[in-house]
Amino acid sequence: MSEQGHKQGAVRFGMVIDLDKCTGCMACSVACQAENNISFREDESNKLRSISWMEVFYLDNDQDYANYQYTYLPRPCMHCDAPHHAPCTFVCPVNATTRDEENGIVGHIYPRCIGCRYCIVACPYHARDFNWWDPAWPEPMEAMLNPEVSPRMRGVVEKCTFCHHRLLKARAKAFLEEQDLYEVTYMPACGEACPTKAISFGNLNDAESQVAKLAKDPRAFRLLSKLNTEPKVYYLSKHEWVRKQGDKHFQNSNGNKRG
Amino acid sequence: MKFGRRAFLQFAAGAVGGTLLSPLPWKLVDDASIWSQNWSWRPSPERGPVTRKASVCTLCDGGCGIQVRLVNKNRAISVEGNPRHPVNEGGICPLGAAGAQFLYAPYRISQPMKQSKKRGDATGFKPISWDEAVGELQKKLSNLRKAETPHTVAAITGHAHNSMQDLWQQFFTAYGSQNLFTMPSHRDSLQGAGLLALGREAPFAFDLEHASFILSFGADLVEGWGSPGRMQTLFGKWNASEAEGAAVKLVQVASRCSMTAAKADRWIPVRPGSEAALALGMAHVMVKEKLYDASFMQDHVFGFEDWTDTRGKPRQGFKSFLMAAENSLEAASQQTGLEAPRIVDLAREFAAQNHAVAVWGGSGGNLPENTYHDLVFFALNVLKGNLKPGGMLSLAATVPLGELPQIRGDETARKGLAQKSADQIGDEKPSLTGRNLYAFLSLVAQAPPYPIEILMIHEANPAYGLAGKQTFEKAVERVGWMVSFSSYMDETALLADIILPNHAALERLDDVIGLPGSPLAYYAVAAPVLPPRLNTRHTGDVLLQLARSMGGSVGEALPWKSHEEFLQERVKGLAAAEGGAVFEESPSDWGKVKVGSTPHRNYTDGAGLWKKLSAGHCWYDAPRDPLQEIRSASGKIELAFQTLDSKGWAVEKDELYLPRFALQAPSGDPKEYPLLLLPYRMSSLSYGYHPNPPFMTKTVWDFVLKGKESFVELHPGTAQSMGLKEGDRIILKTPGGEATVRVHLFPGARPEAVYMPLGLGRKGYDAYIGGKGANVNSLLDVQGDPLSGQGIAWSARAQLKRLG
Ligand code: SF4
Ligand code: SF4
Ligand code: SF4
Repeated sequence: MSEQGHKQGAVRFGMVIDLDKCTGCMACSVACQAENNISFREDESNKLRSISWMEVFYLDNDQDYANYQYTYLPRPCMHCDAPHHAPCTFVCPVNATTRDEENGIVGHIYPRCIGCRYCIVACPYHARDFNWWDPAWPEPMEAMLNPEVSPRMRGVVEKCTFCHHRLLKARAKAFLEEQDLYEVTYMPACGEACPTKAISFGNLNDAESQVAKLAKDPRAFRLLSKLNTEPKVYYLSKHEWVRKQGDKHFQNSNGNKRG
Repeated sequence: MKFGRRAFLQFAAGAVGGTLLSPLPWKLVDDASIWSQNWSWRPSPERGPVTRKASVCTLCDGGCGIQVRLVNKNRAISVEGNPRHPVNEGGICPLGAAGAQFLYAPYRISQPMKQSKKRGDATGFKPISWDEAVGELQKKLSNLRKAETPHTVAAITGHAHNSMQDLWQQFFTAYGSQNLFTMPSHRDSLQGAGLLALGREAPFAFDLEHASFILSFGADLVEGWGSPGRMQTLFGKWNASEAEGAAVKLVQVASRCSMTAAKADRWIPVRPGSEAALALGMAHVMVKEKLYDASFMQDHVFGFEDWTDTRGKPRQGFKSFLMAAENSLEAASQQTGLEAPRIVDLAREFAAQNHAVAVWGGSGGNLPENTYHDLVFFALNVLKGNLKPGGMLSLAATVPLGELPQIRGDETARKGLAQKSADQIGDEKPSLTGRNLYAFLSLVAQAPPYPIEILMIHEANPAYGLAGKQTFEKAVERVGWMVSFSSYMDETALLADIILPNHAALERLDDVIGLPGSPLAYYAVAAPVLPPRLNTRHTGDVLLQLARSMGGSVGEALPWKSHEEFLQERVKGLAAAEGGAVFEESPSDWGKVKVGSTPHRNYTDGAGLWKKLSAGHCWYDAPRDPLQEIRSASGKIELAFQTLDSKGWAVEKDELYLPRFALQAPSGDPKEYPLLLLPYRMSSLSYGYHPNPPFMTKTVWDFVLKGKESFVELHPGTAQSMGLKEGDRIILKTPGGEATVRVHLFPGARPEAVYMPLGLGRKGYDAYIGGKGANVNSLLDVQGDPLSGQGIAWSARAQLKRLG
């Protein structure tokens, strides 16, 4: 990745999701909601308005009955590593969304966000959602809010942070224990919850890490790699039809977006 | 509770000050700034130290280890899997992960309530005190005993695998009623099958940890079969990459391309309901080509060869029955819609594999199957010799918990128990095992053998979850007084006359007896993770209080001061029993526990064991050698069910004693109702007692639920022939009822079928749950199992009519 020419630290956090293991159970998405105080509304079936940092997509092979196959594709933010900018960070007029070149995480600073939604348009992965309403929890459920993550207000954009607060906690701990902060790794909430252990997470720059090894697996592919966004989320699938769809938008045979 | 802005800034300053020394504090500072803003909507939950408390999940019977993240030890923020627990190894299912949403659900019942208006009127519930509520129930129960009619009291419970169930049983026996029912479960039919084949009323268990070829007959393995935590964890291992180790092959037989079928190595599509016909066809091939374990059949199986019944009548055995025309390859091919050579190939492949096992049980393995079909799949495993030590199939090992005290039983109790349970009338065949909830409800609704004065409901939601139209509601109309112990204002609680709310799952002490589908003995204690939020009471404590105040032989039979003491006594008994240990090794060692291994005991007495269990560890013991567990009349595995005779079931035809294909066609004229409606399960839709929490509902696709409407799946060809397109609104009508739904074109649907998800169409609760989609249960057809008489609801005939 060094040939990309942008300044970067020794750490590049990335994720590998094994679609052969993923059963589409949705535990990752639920765990992400609980961890990151993602708001919900009475009706969540308008997917253009629904906020979901970890959205599970549905892909099929376009065949009929006996030959029909489908698979699930959990989609967090890709934390694109393209030179200089990710598509979203490039368009943000107020620097509300930036990539931390020290670890590769694309963050979103809510108080800076003016809600212009350029980034939503720019993101080819539909990874960003807009707060059309103030978040409101049914009265007692406010008690479930995680104090480690702030809720977002109406009018700002939000998306997967790679559970950045977990990195900070892990580093704070390492700091107090006088350990090397750049050796610290952590597991995001989605990967922790996944009951089939389909999600791996770690430093892609560390050749010994599981993610670095899996990213070189012959089954590995990335979404829309032809756009040169350089996602740091890799997928594994033994099915060629799945890997091929990695370069298409998610459309099924009926032409409607699933998910 | 509100945390003032000033105090908060001090706290934040401390936190930020500490981490400012670390090189990357901006994000945290940023977060702190947001938390401290003065937006009017800003939620201000109480802050404080974050800790984790380990326990065991009781939202289903899966027995997963969990840890709950708490603020100030009293505010649950999330539920995670316990990485040290062998069942789920740190993973968790979506229901478990959303578990705290039940704790803080707006539809929780905050204190005892009494209906002041007509039943079912949500506005009629008036709060009453616990003394009044328990007092009233106690008075009514005592009066029925005084009137010598204790048998007119009935209860329906949801769980069959915990000590609460045993407490209910103890209470009912001491009180004098046989009318204790549980919600339908696959365990019901499996216990009947176990009784007939092995003389043991225990469900079968599968050593999937050591299998290399899994042939699943419609078993929804990844949707949540048996223990969902165990199955998901195993599924991840079966699909380990080559670098990570050998892969396991999964072949799925099903009419619909379910999640399991889609994730399997191979999907074998068959006609709906014909899985058992395929198994018989395979058995036919295995016998014909001598691919079965002949020496095993010879030594350990009764009824494979022809046999003689107790009256001296010669009878056909399973082997020659398999050669009969009805079990020919052609018959199997016709029933399943598969070409004969595919059946032959599959039989050969299954026979050739070393650690092959056949599993079954659709709808997450949680609903009763046709008992004959349970026995067909069992027989296929027997042909494979799978009950040998080291084989893939056995009986679930029992947990030697402390026995409950002997019930002396006074005259009143004896009289009550002498009355037949209300699910049995006249001279019908006696039920094979257990009680028959559907028969009970339909008798109560139509011609009750005696009136039901009190009906109590515990951790069950029959008004939503039972198949058939208003099965439960119609019965309740004839019930004198209905008591709900639910924590939630669910469809059933709404019909109650009085509600004595239980604590929510994470607030109360419970236990888990056995791991469904696993051959290991398993026991876990679910310690409460935080104090009860509301004015609720543990139903166990209420039962004990009732028994105490009734005194006499009822009080003696339930002598414990509290439900906690009752569980501790049981654990004391477990500690005193031989065998078993607390699992403290690395979760990866779980798979090493095999028949014959002796776990190293790591506790000395009940108190020591209790301490470890309430810290989230589980107790286990090695599986049993199934051949040692057989208690049948012949001392062998019986494939000819001579137990039927001794149960008073003498039957004429030879085949009725044998595993056979006995598909019951649903009612209705196929001309009027040309399609077959089949329910299906999604792991992101909770279909049992617990409604779908908002976190899970967010993940439901918009081609399953859109607004208030749910979708049914139709094959694109079928839809086209009916002139239907994606999203069209239709009325789906079955002989039992109708619903307005929308069409989703799904190429994985069998062309002659229409599929509908389980878990939608709840009523009431709150705006996040109620009124979303249609409830498939109410459309299904209930049929009596030909052997057990238990209600099975696998399908219904259906017609579709386009709307507008
Ligand atoms: S990394 Fe964290 S924020 Fe991103 S999807 Fe996973 S749980 Fe959600
Ligand atoms: S939790 Fe794991 S198995 Fe479930 S949907 Fe997410 S990635 Fe897939
Ligand atoms: S599978 Fe069952 S026991 Fe395990 S977390 Fe989910 S609901 Fe709880």
